[in-house]
Amino acid sequence: MRQILRIAYTFLRLGALNELEYRANFFIQSFQALLGLLVSLGGLQIVFNHTADLGGWQPAELLALVGVYQIVGGLINTVINPSMQRFMEDVRKGTLDFALTKPADAQLLVSVREFRIWRVADIFLGIAVLVVALVRLGERVGWQQASLFGLALLCGAAIVYSFWLILATFSFWFVRVENILVIFQSMYQAGRWPVGIYPQWLRITLTFIVPVAFAVTVPAEGLVGRLDLPALAQALGLAAALLLVSRFFWRFGLRAYSGASA
Amino acid sequence: MTEPAVHLDNLAKVYRVYEREAGLGAAVRSLVRRKSHDVRAVDGISFDVAPGEIVGFLGPNGAGKTTTLKMLSGLLHPTSGEVCVLGYEPYRRQREFLRNIALVMGQRNQLLWDIPAVDSFELNRVIYRLSRQQYQEMLDELVALLELEELIYKPVRNLSLGERMKCEIAGALLHRPRVLFLDEPTIGLDVTMQRRIRRFVGEYNRRYEATVLLTSHYMADVVALCERVVVIHHGRLLFDGALDALVERFAAHKTIVVDLPDGVRNGRAFAAYGEVLEERPGQVTLRVPKANAARVTGQLLADIDVLDLTIQDPPIEEVIETVFTQPDS
Amino acid sequence: MRAIYQAFYRTSLAVQMQYRVAAIIWLLGTVLQPVIFLVVWSTVARAEGGSVGGYTVAGFAAYYITMMVVDHLTFDWHMWEYDYRVREGLLSPLLLKPVHPIHGDIADNLAYKSLTMLVVIPAAILLTLFFRPSFEAPLWAVLAFVPAIILAFLLRFLSAWTLAMASFWTTRIQALNQTFFVAELFFAGQIAPLDLLPAPLQLVANLLPFRWGLAYPVELFLGRLTPREAITGLAAQLIWLAITLVILRLVWRAGLRRYSAFGA
Repeated sequence: MRQILRIAYTFLRLGALNELEYRANFFIQSFQALLGLLVSLGGLQIVFNHTADLGGWQPAELLALVGVYQIVGGLINTVINPSMQRFMEDVRKGTLDFALTKPADAQLLVSVREFRIWRVADIFLGIAVLVVALVRLGERVGWQQASLFGLALLCGAAIVYSFWLILATFSFWFVRVENILVIFQSMYQAGRWPVGIYPQWLRITLTFIVPVAFAVTVPAEGLVGRLDLPALAQALGLAAALLLVSRFFWRFGLRAYSGASA
Repeated sequence: MTEPAVHLDNLAKVYRVYEREAGLGAAVRSLVRRKSHDVRAVDGISFDVAPGEIVGFLGPNGAGKTTTLKMLSGLLHPTSGEVCVLGYEPYRRQREFLRNIALVMGQRNQLLWDIPAVDSFELNRVIYRLSRQQYQEMLDELVALLELEELIYKPVRNLSLGERMKCEIAGALLHRPRVLFLDEPTIGLDVTMQRRIRRFVGEYNRRYEATVLLTSHYMADVVALCERVVVIHHGRLLFDGALDALVERFAAHKTIVVDLPDGVRNGRAFAAYGEVLEERPGQVTLRVPKANAARVTGQLLADIDVLDLTIQDPPIEEVIETVFTQPDS
Repeated sequence: MRAIYQAFYRTSLAVQMQYRVAAIIWLLGTVLQPVIFLVVWSTVARAEGGSVGGYTVAGFAAYYITMMVVDHLTFDWHMWEYDYRVREGLLSPLLLKPVHPIHGDIADNLAYKSLTMLVVIPAAILLTLFFRPSFEAPLWAVLAFVPAIILAFLLRFLSAWTLAMASFWTTRIQALNQTFFVAELFFAGQIAPLDLLPAPLQLVANLLPFRWGLAYPVELFLGRLTPREAITGLAAQLIWLAITLVILRLVWRAGLRRYSAFGA
């Protein structure tokens, strides 16, 4: 386990050092993160000019949702997205050898390959929004909510990561799949609002087909005290299942790629 | 006297390059005050090309060849001086001018990537306002000359580099340009393909009396096609004339090949006459300064029982290299 | 010129067909975004007694479904294309041709949208069946919609094309483009119908060109404009079109000079 952490840390550090060369990117990225936040908050403000509650969610609760949306989006864009894109490019160009010839688990290496450090601006902004929301929610958020939030967030991260890995693994067989990741990006936009307000077909899609709900709404629910234990159990179960399934699928794909018979 | 097809007078292209050190402090400083220096990519070139001539541009990387070609085709705006092609100022990019020239850059695509070349050709036909008959005639000729038969029906991305280059050239010539600018057209191609393209350019020039300006790294291109060479170095014209004259002027050495009968003396003795390039049983190759060539030849003939003796110019590549390694004068 | 457009159109169609899978994936986002706002505002309307700011639930459905189609018909992507062209040196071959590159770009639009309409229209129909919008526009409004949407396309295309010229000066166009898109989101009536914006933002929206490219044709089609407002809108479209054309020519010439100064 320590080995895994050490490898992950090394790669992330290298990625960060690489990006630090381009300091201007920090300001540009921060600016873009602000723009994204403007859209979320602006939309929120306009909505609450006309109503006091959206599908049962209060303004402060929705603010927390926006914060979680920013944070999770930032997490995805710092590591998961760039690494998976890089992996698919490596498969297409045939330059995946580094992962196969190093004495470490290929899945780990591939998953932390690229680290866009300037995207942490997204995460910091999300945290700032979250803090404001927490202040406004006041005593409603205690240790129980915080731990539910943390747990749900971990599950969400695991689910999103596994989902991306499964999509990316398809590139072992289909060469032009880069666009498939665009599906997630488009659907993630829906995470700005609580998934409960969407019609059923969309809700199911956003929960089980493209796991936006588990990434954003469920952790936010945990934070503001709307998460019940059955739902949390569902999240935990799905996270564990997807981690296993994606791992299995990955090993299958890797064996096919390196020519071993399955 | 006929108007030259291409006319350059003291043409110059100067780039201002901004310097900036690394670091955030320097970046902020550079917002207020920028250090810069000028790069003279082309520094006062003048020459004329008559209609129907093929001229070769020689020069190392960064000499200014491609920059000159881009100014001649209108892609770059000159900093100073005159440039005139077919009576037009290229950088004005007038339609009539563009319809009469073509620029082919090696490894750069103008054909659309995902569809067969013939579809891009058809698009060009319409853009250059060619009648169906003109187009078909020219296409048939180009297909025959370049051996393109099935290639033009395959998507361009499925072609090899050589096949793609042939299609690019065909596409560039469909409208029968009167002036053809070729920038490294054979780069990256195998020897057979290079030869085929060389033959084609020569044929095109003969048939349509097109003016051709060609830059190349490969001496073989220039030797095969160009009677006249222009040598550019550091943005300046070093030489403008026939290829033989170039060798004559810049070759500093001559090569003497001596054939010897059996029972030859050892090579160390030959070192007295000149630099020994090669020594084989029965033959010695020497390099001597041009001025000494006659005297050394006389000495060799007098001192040694020689079977045969030849005096050669050094290979052209060597001559060119000598030209380029000359300091700025 | 017509022959040239036909040739460009045919060629572009052939090229776009090669990328149809990617196109369909991108269309997912096109369809989803209006649906998200549709649902959000419908929820608000229901909570507030059935309507908000003059829009009922059915009204919001009509607005956003129309918005989806109009947005797709009038948008342009060439600001990304020019960044690519300048970076990869693909602009020089275009400049050597005796035809202005803008014509090929317009033909690209026509070709792309001919193909994608095959997906967008059925999607609109499906959404209509599910969300039950109410369309009640007088005939003159529907007829006036035709010139309005053509002008809207020209306005949005030329603005986007002018923005694309930024590629001549910098490779960092993402922040610039995003600013443009965010402004469009708010002031073209995408995040919310313009009537629902707070008064100061509505004022800004009237001063900017965005509403004439999107919100105006949509409102016209839905019959939400008086004849007087329709004519004023048409005039506004024409004025902004003229302004954009002037700016475009200036920027194109400056951009070309810069490109030919710094290396083609």
